[in-house]
Amino acid sequence: MDEVLQQVAELITEVVGPDFLLGVEITRDTTFSDDLGLESIEFVALADKLNAHYGVDLVAFLADMDIDEIMAMSVGRLVDHITARV
Amino acid sequence: MSRFLFVVPPLTGHINPTASVGGELLARGHDVAWVGHPGTLAPLLPDDAVVFPAIDDVLEADIKAKRERWLALRGMAVLKFFWEEFLIPLGHAMEPGVAAAVRDFAPDVLVADQQALAGPAVANQAGVPWVTSAATSAELVNPLQTMPKVDAWVRDLLHEYAGGDIRFSDRLVLVYSSKALVSGEFGDEVAFVGPALTHRVERVEFPWERLTGHRRVLISLGTLNGPAGERFFGQALDAVADLDVQVVMVAPERPVPANVLLRPSVPQLALMPHLDAVITHGGHNTVCEALAHGLPLVVAPIRDDQPTVAAQVVAAGAGVRLTYSRARSTDVRTALESVLGEPEYAAAAELVRESFIAAGGAATAADLLEKVVAG
Repeated sequence: MDEVLQQVAELITEVVGPDFLLGVEITRDTTFSDDLGLESIEFVALADKLNAHYGVDLVAFLADMDIDEIMAMSVGRLVDHITARV
Repeated sequence: MSRFLFVVPPLTGHINPTASVGGELLARGHDVAWVGHPGTLAPLLPDDAVVFPAIDDVLEADIKAKRERWLALRGMAVLKFFWEEFLIPLGHAMEPGVAAAVRDFAPDVLVADQQALAGPAVANQAGVPWVTSAATSAELVNPLQTMPKVDAWVRDLLHEYAGGDIRFSDRLVLVYSSKALVSGEFGDEVAFVGPALTHRVERVEFPWERLTGHRRVLISLGTLNGPAGERFFGQALDAVADLDVQVVMVAPERPVPANVLLRPSVPQLALMPHLDAVITHGGHNTVCEALAHGLPLVVAPIRDDQPTVAAQVVAAGAGVRLTYSRARSTDVRTALESVLGEPEYAAAAELVRESFIAAGGAATAADLLEKVVAG
């Protein structure tokens, strides 16, 4: 498993709480909206963790996307963004 | 005397403030009418209120059915559905009825709820001055500002529909909140009048004799929620079962502990003076009604403007925020014990209450509407 993917999955689990991910394996295809149902406050918490860990600005990353891209935003796309930056 | 026409969607939270401001205008001797869905308006308005139809029962049932699908969506899909499947089609559907009402009633001013886009569209065509009734303060602070492409998408939809951003009148935008909750710089046309609570009509029965607890809490997720509501209700019931509080819970029939009074609906405004705290999804009306009574809040926002409203409550120090889809009974219990037990929450809520009183509510709104007529 990709190291960044594993780390991002851990950060998501910290934000959401492990109980809610029982039986859900976070893969590159996992979407933030549909699959994880990330709430706005959880998104903010994840942004803080990504910033602390990688110095990546999640808000700025999303700012370039249109509504369909944000809806389809997957863990894989975030991982690629981080990998390209770090 | 002047003539005021309120244009509203079939949503209780959006009709309520207009019922109050309209009631105040009626009390001052003006002619007032509403245009929307008569069946949704009837229980919220005085018996002799003048109502023009713009939404029939078939369309209203269709909107309700759509809402069921909408409640199953998450994240940005909610916003896309809201605009493409609800707001813009509702605008088109309401136009003939609103146009007929403008023709028959001949208002001096049209007061359009922010989610009744047919109001400004028809008013512009007919050359009638229109103002905005912002049932929530969230649009003012623009939650989409960090997503410029999404923000532009919304503006494009509005331009396509009506040739401009008709969410905001340039004459007057009535906001039923205060600067104690909403921070930012706003134009002179934006008026923070506080919640409009006078002249409101509540026809729901309530067993007042059963309110016996010395500390009382309302749990309400408003008139719209969905499957995740079932989970949250369950956690909330577990949270309060062993607490020394009496709980009024607005929810469909289910088994509840002895200290919970379950009702399908309540006269919420009348109930407020009897409460010590409110657990809510963060609907703008419920939050501001609670704060208008100095009540601290536990807010678990579901969607739409609710995260923004929840953030306002937390920033004001008047409550605790929970994660709606994941909060456990222990989280709900800890949050409730905090707002009930730590006096700074109630003190912060009291400061908001004072700001609401200073804002003036429906009377201030009516003053401003009279000024629009005067020009």
